[in-house]
Amino acid sequence: MMPLVAAGSTAVLHNALLVGAILFALGLVGILTRRNLIVMFLSAELMLQGISVSLVAWSRHHGDFGGQVLVIFVLTVAACEAAVALVFVLQAFARTGRLDAAAWQELREATLARTVDHALPASDAVPPRWPRLSTAGVVPPGADESPLEREHV
Amino acid sequence: MTPVASLSPGMILAGAVTAAAASLWLLLPRGAENRLARWLGLVLGAAALAGFIVTGRRLGGLGEEAVFLVVSLVAVISGAATIVTRSPVYSAIWFALALAGVAGVLLVLGAQFLGVATIVVYAGAILVMFLFVLMLAQPSGLASYDRVSNEPLLSAVAGAVLLGLLSLTIGRLSADPTCCAVPAKSDAVTGGDGERKSAVPAAADPLAADQVARLGGELFGRHLLAVEVAGVLLLVALIGAIAVVARGEAALEDDRRLAAGGARR
Repeated sequence: MMPLVAAGSTAVLHNALLVGAILFALGLVGILTRRNLIVMFLSAELMLQGISVSLVAWSRHHGDFGGQVLVIFVLTVAACEAAVALVFVLQAFARTGRLDAAAWQELREATLARTVDHALPASDAVPPRWPRLSTAGVVPPGADESPLEREHV
Repeated sequence: MTPVASLSPGMILAGAVTAAAASLWLLLPRGAENRLARWLGLVLGAAALAGFIVTGRRLGGLGEEAVFLVVSLVAVISGAATIVTRSPVYSAIWFALALAGVAGVLLVLGAQFLGVATIVVYAGAILVMFLFVLMLAQPSGLASYDRVSNEPLLSAVAGAVLLGLLSLTIGRLSADPTCCAVPAKSDAVTGGDGERKSAVPAAADPLAADQVARLGGELFGRHLLAVEVAGVLLLVALIGAIAVVARGEAALEDDRRLAAGGARR
């Protein structure tokens, strides 16, 4: 099996580093601007992917496995980080009922004063909009029961 | 000479980065849905991608370039869709596609094991964990924190500044023939202390048949201590997650009792 791209060429290093930089910048924008905790963690993982691409590009360029070994440790740490972080996200959701990062401003000791960064609305979900379909067929039995499917994903 | 060819790569990159930032700003959720802004953002994003493609280096063969272009476009477009999609479930699914693109890039770069591990570990385990949490914790309806993002203009500008600096540095780096030359074989084989021999021959063929075996040798030879530390880290994360869940349940009950006017246990 022949190598797809010649080793040590600067062109493949340049292109791969550019892809890694773009992924890292996208993840940075996401983690700065999105407010959903899950999406913020996905953005952090996107930044880790950019780092991985850059590390493998340098590893390839130098013909050394150090970069690839580092990416394996990045994978390990990402798994640990996701496990611990998602536990905290779930706990915050159980307390506040929302995945908003601003909900963490409620995190304080009972004796401390409340710090309000963003005022949180009590209920802020918009009802889902469904496409209007023409009626067809017959109404199945039990159709007036509560629907089993989720309202919105 | 075409107008594009008369521009310097730095100017094309600056334009592409600016277009990318404007596109992200237009596409990020800002409350009201605006069809015109979305189309304008898509057009600007395509222009930014075209700028990045134009400034990319030629790889020397049409097949190689096509493969690299396709996988990197999949990674970048899906990555952008991950952060601009309103629904977090769709965001996670776009992230899975971005992982597939990144795995393709890693395979093109010759990291076979890492390409497969990215699919298996990230898309198979970590992403499924995210989706589980989403299904457990997603309130019905699209919440305001998904519809309105936090300072999209400033974040897009911050990302553009970072990307501009990085891409200009990368362009200058690879244009300079002396900066990142592959070191001579003897330099690469001996480490910093000179006596420790790497298990990897210098300028190893990345697609050699025993590439994964040599990666394993490197991992469990030079980096054995780090492997042990990583194992301890996994154990600590496991125990920590369980401990937080167990303590959190008790704390939640305490909160409910306090809210109901009762005394803390």
